[in-house]
Amino acid sequence: MAADTTPPAAPEDGLVGITIDGRTARVAKGTLVTDASAILGIHIPVYCAHPKMDPVAVCRMCLVHVEKMPKLQPACATPVSEGMVVSTERADVAKTREGVLEFLLLNHPLDCPVCDRGGECDLQDFAFRYGPQASRFPITEKVHFNKAVPLSDRIELDQERCILCWRCTRYYDEITGEKELVLQERGVHTLVNTFEGKPLTSAFQGNLPEICPVGALTNRKYRFKARPWDLQRTKGVCPTCSYGCNINIDSRDFEIKRFASRDNPLVDDMWLCDRGRDSGPSWNNVERIRRPVLRDATGSREVSVSEAVAAAARSLREVRERHGPSSIAVLGSAENTNEEIWLLQRLARTALETPHLDHQLEAFPDIGPEEHALGIAEIEQCAAVIVLGDEPEREAPVLTLRLFKAQTKRGVAIRRVVAQATRSLVGELPAEGLIGLIADETNREHATALAGELSRSHQVRRMTVTRGVNGRGAKDLGMLPNSGPGYTAVDQAGKAGRHILEASAAGLITGLVVMGGSVWSASVTPLLERVAAALEVLVVIDTRPGPLSRAATVLIPGHAIFEKGGTVTNMEGRVQRVRPALPPATQTPSETRILSALAAELGAAGWPGDHLLINRELVTAVPAYARAGNGGRALFEAAVRA
Amino acid sequence: MLIEIAKGMAHTLRVMLRKPITVQWPEEQKPVAPRHRGRHILHRYDNGMEKCIGCELCAAACPVGCIYVGAAENDPANPVSPGERYAERYEINLLRCIYCGYCAEACPTEAITLGPRFELADYRKERLVATKEDLLEAWPNMAQSRRSPSDHGAGADQTGRASEVPGLSPRVAWEDGIDSSASPRPGEYGIPSHVPRVISPDEAEPR
Repeated sequence: MAADTTPPAAPEDGLVGITIDGRTARVAKGTLVTDASAILGIHIPVYCAHPKMDPVAVCRMCLVHVEKMPKLQPACATPVSEGMVVSTERADVAKTREGVLEFLLLNHPLDCPVCDRGGECDLQDFAFRYGPQASRFPITEKVHFNKAVPLSDRIELDQERCILCWRCTRYYDEITGEKELVLQERGVHTLVNTFEGKPLTSAFQGNLPEICPVGALTNRKYRFKARPWDLQRTKGVCPTCSYGCNINIDSRDFEIKRFASRDNPLVDDMWLCDRGRDSGPSWNNVERIRRPVLRDATGSREVSVSEAVAAAARSLREVRERHGPSSIAVLGSAENTNEEIWLLQRLARTALETPHLDHQLEAFPDIGPEEHALGIAEIEQCAAVIVLGDEPEREAPVLTLRLFKAQTKRGVAIRRVVAQATRSLVGELPAEGLIGLIADETNREHATALAGELSRSHQVRRMTVTRGVNGRGAKDLGMLPNSGPGYTAVDQAGKAGRHILEASAAGLITGLVVMGGSVWSASVTPLLERVAAALEVLVVIDTRPGPLSRAATVLIPGHAIFEKGGTVTNMEGRVQRVRPALPPATQTPSETRILSALAAELGAAGWPGDHLLINRELVTAVPAYARAGNGGRALFEAAVRA
Repeated sequence: MLIEIAKGMAHTLRVMLRKPITVQWPEEQKPVAPRHRGRHILHRYDNGMEKCIGCELCAAACPVGCIYVGAAENDPANPVSPGERYAERYEINLLRCIYCGYCAEACPTEAITLGPRFELADYRKERLVATKEDLLEAWPNMAQSRRSPSDHGAGADQTGRASEVPGLSPRVAWEDGIDSSASPRPGEYGIPSHVPRVISPDEAEPR
């Protein structure tokens, strides 16, 4: 009796069934065979295919056998269809892989020992796993090309190592749209080069060495710094801007050697900008504050932390007794973690009882959570996005890539307008759908006005690009003179950042506590000199020397953002954990412990010093942060205060 | 029975007249076996260039992790080794080395071999971290100044970052009871009193 060969009826679930090497799965329509194999845990080697780019199927590495198809098919470009049976284990597939690798290695220089990619190279790995063990081609007959060709001051191209997968040229076509790399010549002489030989100018070049599957494109700033197996990898968040790109911090010998991207499709989509990528290694050369210092009219001397904390508390108490609590002000910065912000605003409001606290210089009247309603990934779901001025993309460069993706792959209309645009935009916008409005903090008022106008006819969501890695967290947790934690109302509004400094210079404020002020202090150095001369007490907790730290009566070193644990909130409200990647460069405790010790000296004992305990306290007080957890968005209901 | 005694004494007499094989080391030296695995040697090519390209495969192969290599880019006008890369720093902690020879086996350019030298006793640990200058073959007209091992190299204590005071890591300062005024005391700010640690307790979070 013949077996019944009709396949069972497919369930009507909108999915399609596939069998790969005897394992079956039901996947969404349009899924590529490579992605389906990843779901099933079957490895198909690829070079040209990239999860963020369209398939081209040029490297032929992923050829697999599909039943009822006459020839082997490229898995990276074949969508799954119902009842498809794929085999990756057949002898003809293995033989093809060996052949492809033999071709790829034909003119490869085999200089893995001096190649920066050696140890994390797909060509090495796949040749080891799938390749023939020997080449039939004599090593003396290899065709040689140029080595170490500089494409810009960041990127170097080794033309011998290139396997012509086109990933770099497609990256420029599809991801940034800048089209700076092209393929030249034909056949064995094909090579990647810059268009007309001009150096690359893109702000996203650092991604090229990461997408290159071999060691052809390498980072000149990371050249020969370390081998992959030397590096200690810590998950982190890029400390440069408020976009909150996820990174891997690779360190060796207690130095950051590189920032590598860590794909978070909701935030960075695995791309980093060069400014952020270079910020990590540049920290190795930063001058640091190392020891606590007490300074008075007679001079300065190095002291222990406990002495410094006791002296700070004593002098602040004296100021309060003599001039009252409102003669003291507290300034944080957008580089502090949420836990530090939480303790610092609590120190200001309950221990020092002053209304004057802020984290930056600009005043933010009527601040509310509705300014941050649009999420980064939601840009792709908008019908149109309006970008006010060029500041947002200058402040957070990776935003440009998200806008380009929304425009080219999702058909979102992107309108870049000058911030002070007075003409009505309503007529230019699609009638239906969500409108995104992106502005930075200097154009807040224009954005508010425009949002008010648009919201009469459209559904509008705003995104505000905050300054500093945790500018959003500082606002959420109430490091503001006019808003408490979670945008709650405050009894008495205090002075904003710049007014605090002006009042200090005028002698109205006599005691100032500054944490991490080196971020904003560079822009107001002349004012700070007057401030420093006028103040009686200046307590500074900072990582880097600056005009304030040089004048501080009590100076306590802080830990850099990758030397401590905590959470930071990006501009869309995503709360992300930072972890210590290096031991601290100072021998002093972290800021949170110093703040809790300072509070204890001021009479408020029992504050947690450990960031995990502070976080527990914080999420209890601000439920939006409890809902966000680690990696979710903190969403506040609009107009809590109204 | 007498015959047996005579036989034994004859052997004793024969051996007594032979030249002794004991060597009066260190006054007298004895050649070591050709494949003896003693202290390492970094070799040069015939033109004086270093064979080592700083690829760190020796460090990767080392089962005890006693090799530290810091690579750098060659100046094309004045190269140290052929090609783009050379070892700017090369250190072996001879106290930790087990002289297995895996480094020589892993080396793609045959730059490192284990040599005949076995007299490796010293009074100070620091002197037993061999630097590149110690290990390199001597070469005419090439000065080889002794450079002390670096803070983070093969002999370094990998538990903490080097302090700003040269030659005094925070950990050493802690254990020697040197008054490093800024470091937290046991019991201060939640640092448990029984653990001699300088690293912030924030590190205690599981990764």
